[in-house]
Amino acid sequence: MTTRVPRWARWLLRASSLVVPAHRRLEWMEEWTAEVEALARSRRETDRDYPSMARFVAGALPHALWMRKEEWTMESVVQDVRFAARVLRRSPGFTAVAALTLALGIGANASIFSLVNGMLLRAPQGIAEPDRLVQIARSYDQAPRWDSFSWPAFELIRSESRGLSGVAGFQDQPFVLGRGAEAEQVLGQLVSGNFFEVLGARPYVGRLLRPSDDVSPGAHAVVVLSHALWTRRFGGDPEVVGQTIHLGGDSYEVVGVAAPGLTGVETIGTPPALWVPTMQHPPYYGELPFSRWGWSWIDVIGRLDGGVSFQQARASMDVVTTRLRDADSVNEDIRVLMAPGVGLDPDGRRQASQLSLLLAVIVGLVLLLTCTNVANLFLARATGRGPEFGVRVAIGAGRARLGRQILTESLLLAVVATLVAVPVVYSADRFLPALFPYALAVPVGADLRVYAFLVGIGLLAGLLFGAVPAWVESRRALADVIRDAASSGARRSTRVRDALVVGQLGLSLGLVSAAALLGRSVLNAHAARPGFEPEGLVVAWIDPAAAGREDEEEGRGLYRRLLDRMVDLPGIQRATLANQAPVVGGHSRSTVMPPGREDVAYEAERIVVGPEYFEGLGIPILRGRGLGGFDDEPEPVVVVNEALADRFWPGEDPVGKILEGSGTWRVVGVAGDVQMRSLRQAARPAVYYPLVHLYQSSMVIHLRSEGSGPSPVALRQAVAEVDPDLPVAAIVDLRSAVTASMGETRTLGFLVGAFAGLALLLAAVGLYGLVSFGAAQRVREMGIRIALGARPDALVRLMLRRGLALAVIGVMAGLGVSWLLGQALAGLLFGIPPDDALTLSGAALLLLATAALAAWIPARRVARVDPAASLRD
Amino acid sequence: MPRPLGFTSLRILAAIRDGSTYGLEIVRDTELPSGTIYPTLGRMRRNGLVRTRWEDQRTAEREGRPRRRYYELTAEGWRALVEGVARLRDAAEKLSPPLGSSSG
Repeated sequence: MTTRVPRWARWLLRASSLVVPAHRRLEWMEEWTAEVEALARSRRETDRDYPSMARFVAGALPHALWMRKEEWTMESVVQDVRFAARVLRRSPGFTAVAALTLALGIGANASIFSLVNGMLLRAPQGIAEPDRLVQIARSYDQAPRWDSFSWPAFELIRSESRGLSGVAGFQDQPFVLGRGAEAEQVLGQLVSGNFFEVLGARPYVGRLLRPSDDVSPGAHAVVVLSHALWTRRFGGDPEVVGQTIHLGGDSYEVVGVAAPGLTGVETIGTPPALWVPTMQHPPYYGELPFSRWGWSWIDVIGRLDGGVSFQQARASMDVVTTRLRDADSVNEDIRVLMAPGVGLDPDGRRQASQLSLLLAVIVGLVLLLTCTNVANLFLARATGRGPEFGVRVAIGAGRARLGRQILTESLLLAVVATLVAVPVVYSADRFLPALFPYALAVPVGADLRVYAFLVGIGLLAGLLFGAVPAWVESRRALADVIRDAASSGARRSTRVRDALVVGQLGLSLGLVSAAALLGRSVLNAHAARPGFEPEGLVVAWIDPAAAGREDEEEGRGLYRRLLDRMVDLPGIQRATLANQAPVVGGHSRSTVMPPGREDVAYEAERIVVGPEYFEGLGIPILRGRGLGGFDDEPEPVVVVNEALADRFWPGEDPVGKILEGSGTWRVVGVAGDVQMRSLRQAARPAVYYPLVHLYQSSMVIHLRSEGSGPSPVALRQAVAEVDPDLPVAAIVDLRSAVTASMGETRTLGFLVGAFAGLALLLAAVGLYGLVSFGAAQRVREMGIRIALGARPDALVRLMLRRGLALAVIGVMAGLGVSWLLGQALAGLLFGIPPDDALTLSGAALLLLATAALAAWIPARRVARVDPAASLRD
Repeated sequence: MPRPLGFTSLRILAAIRDGSTYGLEIVRDTELPSGTIYPTLGRMRRNGLVRTRWEDQRTAEREGRPRRRYYELTAEGWRALVEGVARLRDAAEKLSPPLGSSSG
């Protein structure tokens, strides 16, 4: 048979045929060759010329493409899905385990994403066009920071900034709500009259505050309730609008309730329960907060005017900076900064991003682990499906077709897992805040974006764990058919499974050591002595001024009576007072210096203390003496800590020296350093002032007791006996506060610990499966060995060797992962280096032991092989 | 049948009815591009309007060429063609002017 088809046409056909699905390529080629042959032999000369020939052959490629498309159309996808569903249904145990494992990884990732979404990506609720809002802050050329403004500065920003339709201020302010037994402390916010206008917020009942509510100090006793407070405390009664409530002993008229979503402009922190005009700044300060340049208390936000870009508005801050510098010497090197959006200030945003990134890395590792595990399960099961795949290839399924089938199965499984994860993500709003170390002001529930992420991560997981088995199996099946030899394919599959198990072991070691590092940090913090004795120390906040006791003499008398009553409580050894409590807060600072030494002036911790303070807190006095009681200190004297002594008088005896700042003081003693702010911060220079000489209207009662200390109820009762109107704002046990100050570490430790346990289990299951698979494959070989006289324990060792070799490689890889994770966690660790050898080797040993056990159980079985039976099979 | 047949499909069916037996003849008969004809044939085959038959190997060998794939109408194909033509005629009548006015 000689063809008359020209060579170029034959080449074109052959090239197009590559597009045709493999099992139909032959018949396609045959049909087209016949057609072109017929054309080439046509009796009509015009048929045989180049243009008509080319026109005809040009149809081959569209035809081929069409056939390829047919192959991939919905009909066969539906078929694939049906088949995959059948396969998954056939082994419900496998499907359930794989889907649950995956759901865990997917659910964890989507939950963490919903946290990030609420905290960082989504603007706080109830605000119109939140992306048009800006934050304005005070900083300094020399010492960059992100801080609040004084009232005069705020007014200057209002008048001098350009491109902003409104500039509003706000500041958190605790209020005692109600009186007597019903009194409770709530977090309120002082807000400028245009605050809600700038936010574009809406009232739920009544009205919100307006500029006319904020004109002169103390003249606007009106309050807007948050929806949450309104429903919790007032039962959602709309009649409450127009009524009077008590805040800090004063009467305020409720003018409205904010819309449910509105929780202020911050995403982290306690959301404000009510809003009061700035002019109601607690009255005991009088007009001072509104006239002092040096008194910074108000946070500032603004809204961009229509058509003004953020850059344009920010440029106007340079003018504001210049005006501020000219206005008062306090502002000498001030710099006004502006950042886009609200929710978190840049520092908070950075911190939240870091924490989120850590969480994301950890849940990402978990997802990777679950995917590895499921891929391994798939491979193990696919081994049993060898004949099925072989048959499918034999009847014409292409390699791509087979891979696609396996991929369909894994994607279907991923869909099931994603569905299982939906309720987890849906209820994330309920369990995430409990796991998160900070108070969240905003709901972190799932929205569309979270569900989109869920679906995305589900599909990604499906592709991730499906790709490996799809690739391995499609190659293997081909080998099976062509060479009729399953062994080489099986070997490839085993190699991949080995790699997967090594990866699993490595990842789990990373998580186990991270958990161990975090756990030991929490223990270290628990054992730490932060310069005072937290055990048996309870503190309680009282604020006589908020209860209307503004007179100093009256206040001192009250303190005296309170302390007398407290020491009578059962089990109380000492009772004292201070304006701030270590670790838990109320911190204040003020500038001090040796006389005339403004060059070394320093903002030291300012601690105003009552009688027996050092004894009560267990702070050692290193030189000189402590401070006496109310009647023992006629002179203005102070005690300084070691850090301050070293700073001002290195190598000298500080006792007898003079200190300036809020008066002139003589140093009478040196106290040991106390980590006032946090366990992770070194002690700062501090000055202890006697309460007799520096009155404070808001104090913290410190009670030292044996054992558990007084119950909060007994404490409140005792305070109420002394003054029924004086509310106790909060009672904190310092032992638990110190532990709680490690909140991030503990939360992460808990999460990572849980995931690490799980990872270890998954890795063990993977290794177990691999070794038992190997054992099953080699039953015949083992039978022969036993028949030839091999001792069973030698065979067990033989089987174990392989599993242990994998474990050792896994551990080595895992040490690398552990090191990386340790570096990432370094900032959260306490009293332990991120590459602590003992912790890492302990974790490695734990992993090896687990691996040995997981390998030993199936290996033991080969020892029981009956040689006769194994050879018969 | 899911969808009424398009003009292309009908012309191909008609070409087969009128004696065209393999692809090249259909191409010549309908003067449609081959890149349209073959996929349409494939689709109609899947939908059961046409069936194919391979030429006897010996016939092809005798003529010294590859064997051809012949296309035939199925009963379903006949019905689809008749219906399609009726539908076209109907549409044409609606488009042309009424008989009375054109005869004048």
